[in-house]
Amino acid sequence: MPARAPWAQPGLRRERWHGLLFLAIPLLYLAGVVLLPLIQAVYSSTLRIRGMNASFVGLGNYARVLGSEVFWTSMGVSVRFTIACVALHIVLGFGLALLLESAGRARTALRLILMTPWMVAPAIAATIWLWLFEPHFGVLNYLLGLVGLSQGGQSWLGEPGTAFGAAVLVDVWRGTPFVMLLLSAGLQTVPRDQYEAAMLDGANALQQFRHVTLPNVAYIVAVAATLDTINTVRQFDIVAVLTGGGPAGATEVLPVLLYNTGFRANDLGGAAAIGVLLLVVVLALVVLHVSITGLDRTRA
Amino acid sequence: MNRLLVSVVVAALALAAPLARAETVTIQWQTANLTEPQFEPVWKAMIAAFEAANPDIHVEPVLVARKDDWTKFVTSAQARRAPCVVQTDLATAAFNGYLLPLDALWNAEPDSLRATYSPDIMRAMHWKGQLYGIPIWGGVFAEIYNRDMLAAAGLDPTHLPATAADYVDWLRRLTKPGQWGTAVLGGPTDTTTRLLLTWIWANGGEAFNADMTKATFAADPKSLEAIKAYLGLAAQGLAAPSPNTTNYLEQTVLFAQGRIATMRSAYWAIAKVLGDNPGLAGKLVVGPVPGNGATLATLSSASIAASCKYPSQAWAFIKFQAGKHWAVERARVSNWMPLRNDMADDPDIAKDPQLQRFLEIGRTARSYPLPHPAWADIAGTDIVKAVQRALLDPARTEQIFRELDAMLTRKLNDL
Repeated sequence: MPARAPWAQPGLRRERWHGLLFLAIPLLYLAGVVLLPLIQAVYSSTLRIRGMNASFVGLGNYARVLGSEVFWTSMGVSVRFTIACVALHIVLGFGLALLLESAGRARTALRLILMTPWMVAPAIAATIWLWLFEPHFGVLNYLLGLVGLSQGGQSWLGEPGTAFGAAVLVDVWRGTPFVMLLLSAGLQTVPRDQYEAAMLDGANALQQFRHVTLPNVAYIVAVAATLDTINTVRQFDIVAVLTGGGPAGATEVLPVLLYNTGFRANDLGGAAAIGVLLLVVVLALVVLHVSITGLDRTRA
Repeated sequence: MNRLLVSVVVAALALAAPLARAETVTIQWQTANLTEPQFEPVWKAMIAAFEAANPDIHVEPVLVARKDDWTKFVTSAQARRAPCVVQTDLATAAFNGYLLPLDALWNAEPDSLRATYSPDIMRAMHWKGQLYGIPIWGGVFAEIYNRDMLAAAGLDPTHLPATAADYVDWLRRLTKPGQWGTAVLGGPTDTTTRLLLTWIWANGGEAFNADMTKATFAADPKSLEAIKAYLGLAAQGLAAPSPNTTNYLEQTVLFAQGRIATMRSAYWAIAKVLGDNPGLAGKLVVGPVPGNGATLATLSSASIAASCKYPSQAWAFIKFQAGKHWAVERARVSNWMPLRNDMADDPDIAKDPQLQRFLEIGRTARSYPLPHPAWADIAGTDIVKAVQRALLDPARTEQIFRELDAMLTRKLNDL
């Protein structure tokens, strides 16, 4: 009697084959939309591309990018932008999550209102803010003028300091609700009896927060911070729409530099090299994230 | 037997359907100007007329915001699916292999068509000896003044400033609380570069050497003098605040609202301003750029993408656009200047004194964009960054433009 093919065999062996078959579909999909473009990007980063013509330059693009002042300026802007945004997301997100916890019946409505900025597409949000910041006709200068704080014409996006602050403000406005949601879920896991015990011991609200809330949500704060860092370091839409990286490169975070290099300077090889370097940064953050979540699993 | 007959008929219909569909070809047409309200009625009418005259060709407009126009074109060209008819930076696109040489199509046309454009204009349509575009429309940069604001400042609109020094003096008299003489442009588009070049050229300076292998923004004393004079208007408070975010859009709105008294722009800006504020009709005065008379004229051309599957249909549409009737319509409705040399006597052109004034000023204009494959990047990024840095730190203007010269000279020679 001839041996049956593995997928035609009865029992566990056949189920294992069916499992592999089902897995193959998402794996093929991921290979198509993630792996192949990634390989193409890495390959492109070794080419000097001039439109339809390309020549192999090995690591030449990396040497050029890493040796350029523009890249390191952009890296500095990215680091400052990410630190400022993540710190504010966490602080404000935590505050809002605590507010939600104490909101009682209004919690659902309040959560919906606070989530609104996150529901707006980043490019649309940035366009709205762009017009709010407009120096001559913008609402911000108009309102400041009404209370005597502006003579009009304050160039929010035309000065390096205020442009950077404006980009951070818009990112914080849009990104805080996501962190709030994560921390709000974390707060709901804190055992109520620990608060009751702390109250019996005479702990005030601040002491309860320090000795009960914080230790219980420290893990979720770390997870939120790493996830938020991964999101923020890749931030493109808001900065691209708001300032395009200007003025004079003051807000040119790495993804915007990548875009400007690829599509303004027509240097697709250089842009691919920046993309791969950005990927390395993001992967390092992912490893950090996985190690945090892995540590917790081990501890559990 | 009947079943066989039905099967044969069904198969024949199935085969015939794609053949029938294939009779009409669709060509895409991409230009950033399709999103401009002043051009919309013209392009819609033009497509309708072209399709009526060529029922086998369907033109599909690709609407894209100006700042995304190049990105979209490059992306589609890299995928070898670029729109057939495009209006783009000719030298950059030709150098990158994104455009089809048009010499064979052009040379097959009758002499009468080939004599329609001046040799100077046709030279600008070439890259490395090959033709890549057909001139469609242009724009000469001039100084546009608000007559009422001049009168209020006691200035005579019949004696416009002839030199840069006179012009600055006028700006002083036109500036008062909440109102400025003009606008300095430092926003992140190549309009910033266009204005800077008008100042440099009108002062007798050069931004590049003749074969574009060296940048001379700071190296040429007259160029540096013009840059300092122009950007210095912002520091002196003679120009509207926030120059680093001011571009064509902000400039024209400021002018339409009476917040600035003069603006340097092309004929099309008048249509934009009158669209924003119809009350300004008849109150605009057009004069040459103060200085030696040199100014800038943009040349917009239509090209065929290298990946276009229907070049002869695309060529037919380009010829249709370039025709005299549509040149008049673009001038009449959109304020885009015709580039054909057989239109001076056209009644619609001859009866428009403003257009005639621009055409007169344009006699000493130099064509733009400059013919270098990195021009789109140089004009839209490098020069803009230098302008922004100088506006933020006026004391370092010379140093900033010396650094720009060095950087651009490297870039110009790194192809």
